[in-house]
Amino acid sequence: MRKRQNPFPGGLEGGLYKPLTQEGIMKIHKASMKVFEETGIQVNDERALKEFHNAGADVDFNKKIVRASESWVLDKIKTAPSKVTLYGREDKYNMELDGYKVYIGTGGTALNVLDIDTGMRRPSTLKDVQMAARLVDALDNIHYFVLSCYPNELDKKNVDVNRFYAGIRNTSKHVMGGVYTSEGIRNIVKYASLIAGSKEALLKKPFISFITCIMSPLVMDKDYTDLMITAIESGLPLATPTAPMAGSTSPATLAGTLVQMNVEALSGVLLSQIIDPGHPVLYSCVPTTTDLRTGAFCFGSIEMGMMNAACAQLSRFYNLPNYTTAGVNESKIPDIQSGYESMATTMLCALAGSNYIHDAAGLIESGLAISYEQYVVDNDILGMCMRAVKGIEINDDTLAVDVINEVGPAGNYLSNDHTVMNMKKEFFYNTVSDRNTRSRWEADGSLDGRERARRIAKQILANHKPLGVDKAIEDEILKEIPGMVQEWID
Amino acid sequence: MSKILEQISENVLEGQTKKVVELVEQAINEGCPVKDIINEGLIAGMNEVGELFKEGEVFVPEVLISAKAMNAGMELLKPLIQDGDVKKIGRIVMATVKGDLHDIGKKLVGMMMEGAGYEIIDLGVDIPPEKIVEAIKEYNPDLLGMSAMLTTTMVSMKDTIETLKESGLYEKVKVMVGGAPVTPNYAEEIGAHYSGDATAAVELANNLMGI
Repeated sequence: MRKRQNPFPGGLEGGLYKPLTQEGIMKIHKASMKVFEETGIQVNDERALKEFHNAGADVDFNKKIVRASESWVLDKIKTAPSKVTLYGREDKYNMELDGYKVYIGTGGTALNVLDIDTGMRRPSTLKDVQMAARLVDALDNIHYFVLSCYPNELDKKNVDVNRFYAGIRNTSKHVMGGVYTSEGIRNIVKYASLIAGSKEALLKKPFISFITCIMSPLVMDKDYTDLMITAIESGLPLATPTAPMAGSTSPATLAGTLVQMNVEALSGVLLSQIIDPGHPVLYSCVPTTTDLRTGAFCFGSIEMGMMNAACAQLSRFYNLPNYTTAGVNESKIPDIQSGYESMATTMLCALAGSNYIHDAAGLIESGLAISYEQYVVDNDILGMCMRAVKGIEINDDTLAVDVINEVGPAGNYLSNDHTVMNMKKEFFYNTVSDRNTRSRWEADGSLDGRERARRIAKQILANHKPLGVDKAIEDEILKEIPGMVQEWID
Repeated sequence: MSKILEQISENVLEGQTKKVVELVEQAINEGCPVKDIINEGLIAGMNEVGELFKEGEVFVPEVLISAKAMNAGMELLKPLIQDGDVKKIGRIVMATVKGDLHDIGKKLVGMMMEGAGYEIIDLGVDIPPEKIVEAIKEYNPDLLGMSAMLTTTMVSMKDTIETLKESGLYEKVKVMVGGAPVTPNYAEEIGAHYSGDATAAVELANNLMGI
């Protein structure tokens, strides 16, 4: 009857929070260009070195160092599209990464999971990838699925094909994921083409994309770069994230970390454009910090949120769509810490207008584990962030002068038409938050947030049916693609 | 005949007061029994609203607007109602107690109870025990609902109940209390029934009325 539409969907424009001034952006840019010219990046892959050389960069083949001038860098990244569209298998899930549009989703790759029944931490399996994808498919405020965890029971050579298929089979939202073998990438493209109808159809509306990493400080690793090249050759959209840790693998200042990270992020864009001009690539950032009291890696620090928010501005300076990181936390279980750390960084990035905020649902323990409850909690956090992104709408209807006059002093607005007209589009309604009276909360069993979230997750997993993959195509995939697991969850 | 009753029910659900009034007039003209218009039209619509409200599909303002639509239909039928056409659910006298000026919570409870079919007599705010006793004598209600927002004014609830007992009216009326500082224990202590929010208040009233 009254189908409730999400009034705060992905794709709303952010950009009101600007951690950097125009002058600050220019200074970071100029400093980065100096690093490109003087220090350069180390590229440990022969072929990539040659590509940089042939494209006109200054390559020292002995030391495997690539240096470049500002004009060369700016010229080469020009071919990169300013807008990349990541598709879902249903059009409602398409994401246009453009301007300051905001989309938020999950991340990976965790090695562990908090078991939904026992609550205990255990090594993650392929079934967990499937269940996480299915949960995300049903959670409205999570706009896409990044492959969540590592199937520890599989041989490395079989991980890529099965992990991607676990995602695709359980959500029709866009699926992005890290990859481990070139053979895996090629086989994923093969079966994704079958699902799309043809390779052309897949490239026209890519519903999957890849992640291949750059190492801080300033290294393009041999294996990852080899994978990066295979991914570029696939034609599918690509993220090339770099994860400097301020204080250990990058300078202990936010500005200095942004300078180094900018060089690294642009290196991925450069390689993609040299090999395949116009390739859909994201300016990909994972700036983090180090807790220098212990040396611990921090995925949920407030500085991380500030730096990732700044990346939205930096990427737009280069006219590129961005991939940023927020919403992870250091907590070992879904609790108070996981809540406030996730909220703080995601909110900053969303308000800054980051195009593709990843890692923002399900991850705990600095990304080492996923928690089903946390996906459900983060779904609320993401919804709150999108609500804030939408901002305060000002027009004659929202100013409501006539309504105030009609209700008058000492009246109430509860049963006014204006209230009914606005109540479902003006407010975000949390699903995990308990807003009942204490007596009702007690009557419902005095449950804390984690338990409420767990029950929601269990209910979704028991009832939700994703789009799935056509039976005939699935049979062909399971038969033809080497290393495919044959048993999948119902 | 049943089609028009269905339309009445649907328009109550959608909160379309004008439409409900038109349709009820039409049904009367067509000779539809008053009892059917009420039970299969107006009340049926309101019952569905109640169900959807419980599921979280319908929000409080929509319940109130549906109740408005139902009551507009009822007004037309009142002159035609004969004994046995409609089961009277109950009558409640409501007040914010002495010293307290907060009334949005009490109004909300009143509107929800009205939606559930109760007759509401709202005395207003800052009502001293004597005034409440007078109202009980005058209206002879089934229920008395008292509200307080402050710990300092909550004690007026106890005073009112004492006054009721002195006037010998306490046994004639069931007392419901609510408001931010009120707890189930306090209610029990002073000899009243507690509910935590507007929906629970309707449930409590129904329980007390044996519905």
